[in-house]
Amino acid sequence: MTELELRDLRKTYRVRGRPSVDAVRGIDLTLRSGELLGLLGPSGCGKSTTLRMIAGLETVTGGDILVDGASVIARPAQQRNIGVAFENYALYPPLTVAENLSFGLKARRRAERGDVDRKVKEIADRVDLTAILDARPAGLSSGQKQRVSLARALIREPDVLLLDEPLSHLDAAQRDTTRRELKRIQRDLGHTTILVTHDQEEALSLADRIAVMKDGVIQQLGTPYEIYDSPANVFVADFVGEPAINLLPGVATDDGHARLSATARIALPVPVAAGREVVVGIRPEDLALTGEDGNLTARVIAHEPLLESGIATLALDGVDNPLVVLTAPETRLAHDDQVHITADPDLTHVFDAETGDSLR
Amino acid sequence: MTVKKRLLGWLADAALVLYFVFALFPIAWMVILSLKPTNELFSTYFSFSPTLDGYRTVLGDSEGIPFVRFFVNSLVVSVGAVVLSLLVGLPAAYASARWRFKGSENLMFTLLSFRFAPELTVIIPLFVLYQKLGLFDTYVGMVWVLQLVTLPLIVWIMRSYFADLTPELEQAALLDGYTRKQAFVRVALPLVKPGVAAVSLLAFIFAWNNFVFPLILTSNEAQTVTVGALSFLGGDRPKYNLTAAAALVSVVPPLLLALTIQRYLVRGLSFGAVKS
Repeated sequence: MTELELRDLRKTYRVRGRPSVDAVRGIDLTLRSGELLGLLGPSGCGKSTTLRMIAGLETVTGGDILVDGASVIARPAQQRNIGVAFENYALYPPLTVAENLSFGLKARRRAERGDVDRKVKEIADRVDLTAILDARPAGLSSGQKQRVSLARALIREPDVLLLDEPLSHLDAAQRDTTRRELKRIQRDLGHTTILVTHDQEEALSLADRIAVMKDGVIQQLGTPYEIYDSPANVFVADFVGEPAINLLPGVATDDGHARLSATARIALPVPVAAGREVVVGIRPEDLALTGEDGNLTARVIAHEPLLESGIATLALDGVDNPLVVLTAPETRLAHDDQVHITADPDLTHVFDAETGDSLR
Repeated sequence: MTVKKRLLGWLADAALVLYFVFALFPIAWMVILSLKPTNELFSTYFSFSPTLDGYRTVLGDSEGIPFVRFFVNSLVVSVGAVVLSLLVGLPAAYASARWRFKGSENLMFTLLSFRFAPELTVIIPLFVLYQKLGLFDTYVGMVWVLQLVTLPLIVWIMRSYFADLTPELEQAALLDGYTRKQAFVRVALPLVKPGVAAVSLLAFIFAWNNFVFPLILTSNEAQTVTVGALSFLGGDRPKYNLTAAAALVSVVPPLLLALTIQRYLVRGLSFGAVKS
């Protein structure tokens, strides 16, 4: 059981003749023992660099990495005992699955011959690889490769487990099963784990807590519910949630509303100084089409009736940004229909227009 | 298949046959020459009484020319040069594929420049150096100077092989506790085996065929077949049949080698074939 701490971790890439790039700009994180933390962000946000620094595959420009309170940055990757499941699996093509698993154990002969076989059997059993132990990586499905890669990282009993985009190369069906497997295995074995991903679904479904990253900085750290229910800024609100949150620029009024246009107004969840420019955020699933009593009126631009729910794209009178609303399965809408919408102030987010920070 | 397509197919086949004849004609000519008896050497008609005397003379070391020794010299020197180049060149290729360090590109280019600088430009200073250092006409001297031929080839080709390998395989090994050296020897190297086979063969052929270095830097003890075969042209009258026989015998090792590793060669010469 291991605690992992990142203190003001920084990475700057310097290439001669080019401006230096700050990939990671001071990250502070503490992972409790056995916790699965999702590092979520768009590509180029520094999440993979952070992962590689923890693993020891990348030098650290500043700050510290502590495993159970002891700094590991001076140690090379070989001496850190950190397991990584790489995005492209990094399985060794000429070796069978069993040989791939035992390959890691044979370094520095840390295990006896019989011990190796026993451990391979044990982990194969855990990760459900027993049937394919004699197969070679080329003959495996992506889901199987991912499980082998995971088993390979786990067989050494690492202090910390790092998963790099574990589900990104899987098709939809395999993704669901592998995700469940991953969660079960991590919970059973209790490794302190960091999951790096650009896929919000992956992070929301697997992680105990999520750190949303952008431009080398953590934007928000919290449980999936905290990230979803109270995004700290426009970026987090926009990045998490599918379909994406509606973001509507407006001006605060003196009666607790935001004026979006000459006719459209939305009630704000918190008092905001009148005249302040804000961005109002409402998730498509938090809006409801209602009868005449709705507090917003809009015209239908398009309606995509999917099976379990529909997605309606609406135009508010005088507002440029379209408004996306999730509709009930039985909803029937035609182009140019007039609809009424109810927005619940408690489910409405409001951000400062300039800084993007939440005002709630 | 349309008539037009079939016609085009035949034309292509015919062109290939023509090229085949064109390419192999010199060799056919040499075969004929090598089988001619000495007194019919200069006849221009194709009927003659074929004899293996030429080969017997060449391989029997008669005429005072130790052809067998030249042959062995060629083998020793070429194999030696390739082995040394592999020992030095594989780590160099790996390092240059994995790390950009100060001057690494300049270093690589310098290495490459050995290939396009004519050997004759350096041969006179080399001759003087070799005389002074006692390397003249020795195996060590030949293996050393042939590095100019084999090393750039091996480093540059193997570099692209290593660059094609995803570094994550080695990184995974590092995380498992393997050292950098072990990651190179046990992970990266086995994956580029087809490349090593192909490039070794190429380097061997280049080393075997080299003419200028043994011509100037050897006299007798370490002389190779390329120069040795010419010895039959000296003396009171040139013995073209013996030269042809010697040349044909000297083609055998590269040919055999190419045939045995043909399987690797096809895979190895198509770059990027080791990508997973």
